[in-house]
Amino acid sequence: MSEFIQLVVAGLTTGSFYALVALGYTMVYGIVRLINFAHGDIFMVGAFIGWTVLTAVAASHMPWGIGLLLALILAMLLTGGIGVVIERFAYQPLLSAPPLSILITALGVSIALENGVLLIFGAGFNTYPHLIGSEGFMLGGAHITNIQVGIIVLSFLLMGGLYLFVHHTFIGTAMRALAVDRDAARLMGINVERVIQITFFLGSSLAAVAGVMEGLYYTEINFFMGFVVGLRAFTAAVLGGIGNIPGAMAGGLLIGLLEAFSAGYISSRWTDVIVFLVLIGTLVIKPTGLFGERVVERM
Amino acid sequence: MQGLLNRPISAAGIVALAVAAILPFFCHNYIVDVALTIVTYGILALGLNIVVGYAGLLDLGYAAFFAIGAYTTALLETLLNFNFWETIPFSLLFAGISGIIIGYPTLRLRSDYLAIVTLGFGEIVRIIATNLDITGGPNGIYGINPANLLGHDLTSPKSVYALGLVFLVCVLILVIRLGRSRLGRAWTSLREDENAAEAVGVPTLRVKMLAYVIGALIGGLGGSLFAARFGTIDPSSFTYAQSVSILIIVVLGGRGSIPGVLLGAIIIAGLPEALRFLNLWREFVFAIALILLMLVRPQGLWPARLRHIAPPSAEDAHATPHAEVAEQIAETTAGEPDVLLEARDVSRVFGGLKAVSNVNFTVHRGEILSIIGPNGAGKTTVFNCLTGVIPPSAGAIIWNGKPLAKLAPHKVVARGLARTFQGIRLFDNLTVFENVLVGMDHRFHVSLASEMLALSYARRETHLHHAAGRNWLEFVGLTAQAGLRAGDLPYGDQRRLEIARALAGQPQLLLLDEPAAGMNPTEKQSLMGLIRRIRDLGTTVLLIEHDMLLVMGVSDRVIVMDRGQVIASGSPSEVQSNPRVIEAYLGAGEDEDEDSLAAVSEGAVA
Repeated sequence: MSEFIQLVVAGLTTGSFYALVALGYTMVYGIVRLINFAHGDIFMVGAFIGWTVLTAVAASHMPWGIGLLLALILAMLLTGGIGVVIERFAYQPLLSAPPLSILITALGVSIALENGVLLIFGAGFNTYPHLIGSEGFMLGGAHITNIQVGIIVLSFLLMGGLYLFVHHTFIGTAMRALAVDRDAARLMGINVERVIQITFFLGSSLAAVAGVMEGLYYTEINFFMGFVVGLRAFTAAVLGGIGNIPGAMAGGLLIGLLEAFSAGYISSRWTDVIVFLVLIGTLVIKPTGLFGERVVERM
Repeated sequence: MQGLLNRPISAAGIVALAVAAILPFFCHNYIVDVALTIVTYGILALGLNIVVGYAGLLDLGYAAFFAIGAYTTALLETLLNFNFWETIPFSLLFAGISGIIIGYPTLRLRSDYLAIVTLGFGEIVRIIATNLDITGGPNGIYGINPANLLGHDLTSPKSVYALGLVFLVCVLILVIRLGRSRLGRAWTSLREDENAAEAVGVPTLRVKMLAYVIGALIGGLGGSLFAARFGTIDPSSFTYAQSVSILIIVVLGGRGSIPGVLLGAIIIAGLPEALRFLNLWREFVFAIALILLMLVRPQGLWPARLRHIAPPSAEDAHATPHAEVAEQIAETTAGEPDVLLEARDVSRVFGGLKAVSNVNFTVHRGEILSIIGPNGAGKTTVFNCLTGVIPPSAGAIIWNGKPLAKLAPHKVVARGLARTFQGIRLFDNLTVFENVLVGMDHRFHVSLASEMLALSYARRETHLHHAAGRNWLEFVGLTAQAGLRAGDLPYGDQRRLEIARALAGQPQLLLLDEPAAGMNPTEKQSLMGLIRRIRDLGTTVLLIEHDMLLVMGVSDRVIVMDRGQVIASGSPSEVQSNPRVIEAYLGAGEDEDEDSLAAVSEGAVA
């Protein structure tokens, strides 16, 4: 039982990273029908910005709480800005081109981000400052660390906030309108380019939070870390039904749990195989994912 | 083959291949090695091009087939002492089987979901190779023998390069012939509009599966070559990044364009070598160059051209035995019952909405029957039920005396029901002529192999097939436009082309869904004439139309639907004076019975 609880908490923690990153995939897909293959690397860039700020903070004598807040905010703003710049220069000119063309530029951005970070920070591992120790508490015989609780709580707060934003603000309504029909939204006076930029900003900043938290949790980051998380998050978004925001959150947490259980009860060498088989099996039974709606095409 | 030499691009291609063939005689081994890498990528990209370029599907795990080919050759050589040539059939077999395995779950998925499923499949294959002992785990397999030809081991870079070039030429011939075959046409129609392809008789699921399987075979062949070249393989050659590189070649070069794909292979495999002097900056510069190239040329560096098949000349076409369509139709329908189709209590429910409820009607052979009714009456839903696009929730459809069980749309077409769409759905990036050919390909009974080998009887059949296609274009008056891109036709011509495409399958029953929508009065007049001529061929016509002048002028009988139900049927004049019909069109409480129908038809024409 204690092992089970341990695995559930570990799964929810990594699942929170996946869910936050999956939100970016799903929001961008919902609005511009693009699978943003660079999004995993956006997460990685967020982790490196957070690392830069926290290393500077650790050198000064600022209280760690304020330093952490500063790192999160700066990582969100800068990474969000990078997301907007990428959208503006690499994606926007191709929004009306064949979908595969924009997919290839997304792959190009992904390679560029990885190698850009490699050039600046080097190929090795960068260690996050040990701001939060491994203190925690016991629950049902399992050791739960404070950082795990912090990660899960912060992720749920952000996800709830995003849900409220999308459903209860003017811009959120505009985002949903765009997802249904971009041209009609434009005719209704919505500034489509601006809404797309806001979507990229939000998606990128959520990924940045996940990046900083992953750095704090695993304490080591490197330029290649975005690949696995991006892949799992993308899987999560599809599993939940791509384009569907609650679906991405649920998908992320499910993938996290699946990963924890397969590593705990089977072998971590087979984790990816199990995750993909579950995904393929789900899609065979329900081709639009767990929460995706069937698109009825008019003949 | 003689057609190949007539084109300047083909001639240039042959010159390029000749240059590639003599390359080893004046180049350093390093250059030959790079050229061999380009050749390998060229083979793989030509295979992926079938999936991505021809059929318009996405595959992010193509390296899996490459891996399966390479591991098959490696394992059979090292464990069972097969020689290289003996392993190739097995490489193809296993790659083909895995093409079926990956194809099957993806058949029903939309293209965006294909991305992750194919990516997952690629990762699964790589992880299995990494984790199993038999495949050597992360270290892979050593000591694979080189290919042996007439007692000589092909070990030197130049001889392996020659082998690779031979493979490349074989694959090139295969993909060029495939692209021009009826299967290539079916792939393109799938890429352009999957539902329309299915509705004109293309078995889309099988055609998709064939794209995956043939793509997989070529990937497997590339893998065998790779194993024999290096003598050692390990999982790091078959990563997601490898799949992505092959995809980049296809898209950057130009989807569906063979010269484009080869150019892409030269750039993607050659550019990193050329950029070696940049050291650490190499990948970064490569990525930026890739983004810029895609921004400048979103269609690819060398986009595919419109494929042209010249229709036979008029004299040629008329001299063929297939010209007399009316006789053929009379032959096929002789002895069949007079009632062609009967809808018995057909209902269709969407959620809580009864779009069609308990609809009964019969269609007699040789008549023109119209279904009219206000918008939302359920007319198109009836069409969709008849043609297998959606199954009816209840009731039966009797076709030539036998129930039409839940068949896929392409099988319904094969039984002799063809349709057009309310919103025009042509294959925009095919020529006018090829649009018609897609519509009749399900009647073309020459095996694909003999078509690709251009056996003399297959050539004769192809000629007859093309002649019949030309006659259908002539029937609707589009012969002069045969070579144009279908998407460039004016609106009225697109409508007529859609009718020609449906007719080309020689249906017993043609279903026309609002063919006059958006036409001007002159075009409507000629459409009326066309519908009568179709009937005179012996083809029964079922028409949905809002234009009352056209309906009343052309129909033998009219069925009126409102809110999912048939409210009246009979001759045009009977229907015109039916009070329920008038009520459905003008609402209750109208007293001017006599004038209202005039108002109906005036209003509908305006």
